[in-house]
Amino acid sequence: MGASKGQKLSGMQKQVLSLYRGFLRAARSKPAEDRRQIESIVSAEFRQNSKQVDRKNFLYIEYLLRRGKKQLDQLKSPDTIGLSSVNVSSSKKQNADT
Amino acid sequence: MASSLIRRAMNVTCRVSLSTVAPASRLVVVRPYAGEAEAQKVEPKAAASTNMKTFQIYRWNPDNPAKPQLQDYKIDLKECGPMVLDALIKIKNEIDPSLTFRRSCREGICGSCAMNINGCNGLACLTKIESGSSETTITPLPHMFVIKDLVVDMTNFYNQYKSIEPWLKRKNPPPTAGKEIPQSKKDRAKLDGMYECILCACCSTSCPSYWWNPESYLGPAALLHANRWISDSRDEYTKERLDAVNDEYKLYRCHTILNCARACPKGLNPGKQIQHIKQLQLTG
Repeated sequence: MGASKGQKLSGMQKQVLSLYRGFLRAARSKPAEDRRQIESIVSAEFRQNSKQVDRKNFLYIEYLLRRGKKQLDQLKSPDTIGLSSVNVSSSKKQNADT
Repeated sequence: MASSLIRRAMNVTCRVSLSTVAPASRLVVVRPYAGEAEAQKVEPKAAASTNMKTFQIYRWNPDNPAKPQLQDYKIDLKECGPMVLDALIKIKNEIDPSLTFRRSCREGICGSCAMNINGCNGLACLTKIESGSSETTITPLPHMFVIKDLVVDMTNFYNQYKSIEPWLKRKNPPPTAGKEIPQSKKDRAKLDGMYECILCACCSTSCPSYWWNPESYLGPAALLHANRWISDSRDEYTKERLDAVNDEYKLYRCHTILNCARACPKGLNPGKQIQHIKQLQLTG
């Protein structure tokens, strides 16, 4: 959550937006149902990160940008049909000596 | 009862053969040894001496993104193998399972465990832990993007290796069809010092020129492999390979700093191979 679309965007904000555009363009080349699923996952992830991640945390934003670029390259290939994510919750209770 | 007590007391100190035979004909053997009472006592454990060493390890977690930190871990060197990788595995097993690092062969041939130990790049499985009580600092390879803790992003490095086309390219079929391309022993000896490279990236990440231009300068590792294919007598695309590298940024960012030769854990000299390419560029 930073400058509104009208004001001047920083270089990093432009990179994030161009990555988002890249994802939407890649989604356009997929069949309709997969396209909707990709768009919903991608927009949800970007919105969540924009709210949670601090604007000044450059290290983390750059890490997310690099990860996103790699995922976009994978998505662009014609074999990939969609995205999915798995939530692994780390439970503290582990079975020790049994 | 009294007699049995005396007998037991005698047993502790010495054993006397109680024989009823006349003493003149019998030799009395006295052997001092500890009796049953002594055996029941438990031996105290050998004095527990420890040799503690502190490891300062770079930590950064992408899931809880804060500033990267150096975390301290104390390890008893008496219960740990001699190499830094043994210490890392011990820390991960016993103290902190969330410590993340790459490792595979533990014998210095795969190149996975390349990291910066006490300021010098090297393989963790080949670097001995320094004796003495000074702290050991372990950080990831310098000037590389960090994915987590000691794991770095090597894709740029691998793409540069791919870009020099590290495979045999020929224009004509082999001299005897269906059989191997012959190579004399002298020509094969030209490849020594280049084929042993394990692509650990210690050399490239120790080169200041590579730090400042990681995307355009190929780096000592890729140029070493470029020279390996240029010097291969079986390869027929030598001129094209030389022209592909003959670029202000790809080759000539090398200013013979020679940090690469110092950092290589296999003892190779990438700087020398780069000099060879530069010489070929002059004469070719």
